[in-house]
Amino acid sequence: MGEQVLLLNRQPDRPLSLEEYRQSGGYEALMAAVGKRTPEELRQLVLASGLRGRGGAGFPAGKKWSFIGKGHPRYLIPNTDEMEPGTFKDRVLVNVNPHLVLEGIILSAYAISAAKGIFFIRPSYEMDAELIERELGVAREAGFLGENILGSDFSFDLVVHRSAGRYICGEASAQVNAIMGRRPHPNKEVHMTDAGLWGKPTIVNNVETLACVPAILRKGPDWFKGLARSKDGAGTKLFCVSGRVNRPGCYEMPMGTPFNEILDEAGGMSPGSELKAFLPGGASTSFMPPKFSQVQMDFEPLKETGNRLGTGAIMVFDQNTCLVGATLNLLDYFTRESCGFCTPCREGLPFIRDLLLRLEHGEGKEEFIPMLKQMAHHMFKAYCAFAPGAASPVLGLLHHFEAEIREHISQRQCPFKGK
Amino acid sequence: MPTLRIDQREISVPQGTKVIEAAEKLGIMIPRFCYHPALGSLGACRMCAVKFMEGPVKGVEMSCMVEAADGMVVSTTDPEAMEFRRYVIEWLMLNHPHDCPICDAGGQCLLQDETVSGGHGLRRYQGLKRTFEDQYLGEFVQHEMNRCIHCWRCRRFYQEFAGYFDYGAMQIGNRMYFGRFAPGPLESPFAGNIIDLCPTGVLTDKPSRYKGRRWDLQRGPSLCLHCSLGCNLVGSARYREMIRVEARFHGAVNGYFICDRGRYGFAYANHPDRPRQARVGEEAAPLDQALKTAAQRLGQIRERYGPGAVAAWGSTRSSLETLGMLQWLCQDQGWRGPQFFPQASLARRVKAAVARLDTGMAVSLRDLENADFIVVAGADPVQEAPMLALALRQAARRGATVAVIDPRPVFLPLEYEHLPVSPGDIDLCLNLLSQAARSEEAATGKLEPDAARFYGLLTSTNLEDPLLQERLLALGRKLQDCLRPVIVCNTDMVRETTPARAADQARLLQADKGQAGLFYLLPGPNAYGAALLAGREEVDLLAAMEQGGVKALVVVENDPLGSCPDQERLLRALDNLELLVGLDYLPSATAARSQIFLPTTTVFEKEFSHFINQEGRLQQAVPLHQGGTPIIQVGQGSHPPRTFLDAIPGGEPRPGAGILADLAAALSGEPAPPTAGDLWDYLSGEHEGFSQLASLTASALGEGVHLLPAEAQEPAWSPEPGEKPPEPPAGQLELLLVDQTFGTEELGSYAAPLQKVEEEPHLLLHTDLAADLGLAPGEQVALLLPGGEVTVRLQTAQNMAPGVAIMPRHRRLHWQKTGDGPVWLPPENIKKLSEPL
Amino acid sequence: MSTLPPELQTELAQQVAAADHPREQVINIMYVLQKHYGYMSDEAVEEAAALLDMTPLEVEELATFYDFIYREAVGKFVIHVCDGVVCWMFHEGSVFDYLCEKLGVCAGGVSADGMFTVLPSACLGFCDHAPAMLINGVFYGHLNPEKIDAILEKLRREYCDLVICR
Repeated sequence: MGEQVLLLNRQPDRPLSLEEYRQSGGYEALMAAVGKRTPEELRQLVLASGLRGRGGAGFPAGKKWSFIGKGHPRYLIPNTDEMEPGTFKDRVLVNVNPHLVLEGIILSAYAISAAKGIFFIRPSYEMDAELIERELGVAREAGFLGENILGSDFSFDLVVHRSAGRYICGEASAQVNAIMGRRPHPNKEVHMTDAGLWGKPTIVNNVETLACVPAILRKGPDWFKGLARSKDGAGTKLFCVSGRVNRPGCYEMPMGTPFNEILDEAGGMSPGSELKAFLPGGASTSFMPPKFSQVQMDFEPLKETGNRLGTGAIMVFDQNTCLVGATLNLLDYFTRESCGFCTPCREGLPFIRDLLLRLEHGEGKEEFIPMLKQMAHHMFKAYCAFAPGAASPVLGLLHHFEAEIREHISQRQCPFKGK
Repeated sequence: MPTLRIDQREISVPQGTKVIEAAEKLGIMIPRFCYHPALGSLGACRMCAVKFMEGPVKGVEMSCMVEAADGMVVSTTDPEAMEFRRYVIEWLMLNHPHDCPICDAGGQCLLQDETVSGGHGLRRYQGLKRTFEDQYLGEFVQHEMNRCIHCWRCRRFYQEFAGYFDYGAMQIGNRMYFGRFAPGPLESPFAGNIIDLCPTGVLTDKPSRYKGRRWDLQRGPSLCLHCSLGCNLVGSARYREMIRVEARFHGAVNGYFICDRGRYGFAYANHPDRPRQARVGEEAAPLDQALKTAAQRLGQIRERYGPGAVAAWGSTRSSLETLGMLQWLCQDQGWRGPQFFPQASLARRVKAAVARLDTGMAVSLRDLENADFIVVAGADPVQEAPMLALALRQAARRGATVAVIDPRPVFLPLEYEHLPVSPGDIDLCLNLLSQAARSEEAATGKLEPDAARFYGLLTSTNLEDPLLQERLLALGRKLQDCLRPVIVCNTDMVRETTPARAADQARLLQADKGQAGLFYLLPGPNAYGAALLAGREEVDLLAAMEQGGVKALVVVENDPLGSCPDQERLLRALDNLELLVGLDYLPSATAARSQIFLPTTTVFEKEFSHFINQEGRLQQAVPLHQGGTPIIQVGQGSHPPRTFLDAIPGGEPRPGAGILADLAAALSGEPAPPTAGDLWDYLSGEHEGFSQLASLTASALGEGVHLLPAEAQEPAWSPEPGEKPPEPPAGQLELLLVDQTFGTEELGSYAAPLQKVEEEPHLLLHTDLAADLGLAPGEQVALLLPGGEVTVRLQTAQNMAPGVAIMPRHRRLHWQKTGDGPVWLPPENIKKLSEPL
Repeated sequence: MSTLPPELQTELAQQVAAADHPREQVINIMYVLQKHYGYMSDEAVEEAAALLDMTPLEVEELATFYDFIYREAVGKFVIHVCDGVVCWMFHEGSVFDYLCEKLGVCAGGVSADGMFTVLPSACLGFCDHAPAMLINGVFYGHLNPEKIDAILEKLRREYCDLVICR
């Protein structure tokens, strides 16, 4: 399993309390940083640690912070939207150790001199929103949050923003629009780090990313880098394993752990199931056949295979699952969630979905295959990363499972129906 | 100046130019939907994809999102980009209903054009189309949501550009719906622009619905005559009916847009009662015969009483040709006049304003958008000249401070500061603002002697309301840091001193900051030209008629019975006449009363005409058609008409200038009065403001010329800037007659589409005052005016000056009972008639 | 005129006034009004607009965007059935169909007793307990018909006050 950094002392049925967290070094990084180290030092340490964003894009966190604009107030938005299908790591993380999350947020706020944080959380995580709100109060009582934190001149407070749903709200610029009470469409015209929330410098980070910060500061960037098993990787990763496995769940393992080891950690394939394919990082990554079982689960190794680590949400499919049907399900989702801002996503995804639906219902035609290929490729020219994400499983299906599509066409029905 | 290559052609463009714009400069129209030059780039439709072959950007990208840069090599015809664009159009057509045969946008539809140019011919999508229910959006805009391709133009214009928030985007994904919260009229007076912007037939022009394809229409460049701004239009006529008006781009005036008054006001030209036949007494007569009779009668009166017994009264809605010919006629015949304004005080205000404009001071609407501090003095832009409000909004979006000094409860679709002071305090407010904007030492030290002397003369009386005073001073302090201030001033309801005072203050700002602008609103589309022609001399025809010196009156495209503020007096004066000759294209009260009537054409018919807008810009309107009674009226709905004639029914009206020329010829017995070419010569000798006219080429006239002098006619500074204008007697109210977006403007009040949307006329009082008088909003009140009683419904407002009563010059209100000049009113002259409805 | 109880009106007005930017409260306000009216009715949209100094259209632009704001009447409990791919793998729609059949409703409809509405929902993030659903802020996983029956019965019996976003 390797060293536990984020899920350390995980209790099966309850979150760790402030005291428990402090017993294992909690908030020490904060006490060592605030008023003692400069924000610039923190940014350099995080940059040196090689910490990359855990929300899907994998952008180096320290680098993102280095872009922070001159204006004030600055905002930090811990992103707990977690709408990527298959992903539940942030929910687990918040439920295991809310104060680790909070310490990470406060330290990151210090690093970018943010005055206010907005904890953006999806509506289905209402219980977790309440948990965070409660623990916020505890942290505030303890002097870790609010005016003049730990007697320093650093003041920072955090509020919980309850979202009302929709996948697109996970996109940073759309999320900022959502908080401002505007329609949450993405916006590439403004630089978040200069003119984000209310026109002020803003950093949006996934909470798992932020939760890595206390340990990086306590144990140093080299230690953090050393946690990973891949060449250029850093830290541990929360892998959500679901589907046809014996013990679905969220596992913290070194970044770069090969897929088959994570599968083993999750108890291996369910009885009677054989591995047919897996999505390595949520619905907006591409299907991988068993020949990739050895792939190291990290940004670069997966990129080399033409895929993405995404959120590290591994979904495992077995030999009895129709991948055309699975892709159709994913496209149903993406079609419904598309914000409608740009044409490829709003109109192209329903077209792809329609072709998949016809294939699944045995109405497929040979000419659908090149159309699907072309359209899926063109999705990468959409406005934001939503449509490329939606196209990824389609491309995986076409690339690795074209034979299964052809079976649908030749048999004029789904070959898995009635099995 | 980055240099790039697009389709093997090199071009250098200013820094910041988008590739789509650079291509356009080469004549390459990259397909687009969401991009619009006025709205900028959005990146939503993905239609403008091109391939970047070399340079800082590589691969297929949107040409609207990428700024041109050195070394770029761009291909618009690359196969990958073309295939992507073909898919984009295919996607956009998935749900489009293909109802082009019954769509009003058919033939003028960007979606049709791009579908063809994109190479999408075969439908491959087999799924169902999603459908929507349409909404009623009012009398102007027809909604057909199924056709929508979600380009966002309408919402971006409606909300971001124009600042109204009752129309927008609802739902998500491909269910996204553009409309209102609930069906109902669009609230923005600029709503019609979303018709022009819509790239397909979602938003179409309701009044012209199903009236013809674009290629059926007689189209041409025209001008808006519904205020003084001179917005450029494209007019369309068919079967002798004016069908539709669209905005025509003018970089300095209206940009890409117009207001709804300008868009739908044209329908006066189709008015079913429009007088299209000449008349002598009660009898219809051929035009030339009626003209001869008029000449004969006028000649007789002249012979009997002398030339001064004939007078001419024109208006600011006539073309420069007609105004000039009327002026010439008066001079030639020795007639009295012409008078161009309904009352003498208005003429003085307009002349004072026009005399202050020169190239150094006057700013265009476009310049106004780049100002950083705008003082709006005595103007209510949305009501008086709506496009001014749109320009103010653009300035505000770029960070300008907008301060409105006006007694009315002014609403603007932007962030602004409103100081509701009475008209008598506007000059004082301008003084205070000036003083707060610069310290005395700075003023006297830095300013040139004349400006410093003027500054020294400014009084520093305080406003009665300390709160207003404080807000004004705060604004003044803000003005200190501004670099490009502009003063906007109307000439309508303000004191006679105010237009000149606004110019003084603008000049002071200019002396202080090196840059400042002055922007007037004038009463009517050709008020500037009329003011120049009117010269210094004061004409008061009403007084002359009363005194019996005038026996015959020639009224040219003018309705004094509608516009003169003292109708009783005018009626008595008209009774003194032996002859009233009317020329007009409107079925006005004055036209009806004329003993001899000669029908004229509208701006859309028969001949070229020219108008000078409020910033001295001479512009041309091209005739669209030959005029005549619309076939729909002749045939009473049936087509084709069943009677066959060799002349166009109702085709007799001629341009006012031509009729006046023939009248002159008939009067003098000489065959050749000034023809059009000579008219320009004549005008250029008439006033130095017209001096350029003689040398203008036809193409210069077509494009329009700025006639402003290099130096204003009037001396720079008013002699007594501290002089306070007349105040109302203690305890009395000042009655202000004002304009409304719809319902008060003369031409528009004859336009059926506008009549449907005009607001009920109301008398407006401050909420506290109404309460003091025991009056409640909604009640009918009787207003006792010098000329009699006006019955009107009461409305109240908090954000207006306390000491005024405000009433629109509404066509459905018999308001012409006030007399000239400020009207003071004891509060007890407002009496309750009934309980609120 | 507002039809909200004065206390609620005051509370919401204070909430808006206390915000750095009133508009950041729009979703919170919608949740409260949704709870008060049972769903985000036209009236609720207009109330929200008045409280936030927005036009009803501006509120509607948001209300119709989000799937946890219900613009049509719903039952006391809204059952969000996860249709994420992992849940699909396990039930292939049967949980949703079972619920609809059991309650006699179609998607978005309200059961005859006014208690339940069934909605398909984006992946709920409960994949480790697939198939799953969310009711009133509480997750229910590893669903099968018997379990669903028991949950419905329990909800009917122990009707409780709803959490903010249901």
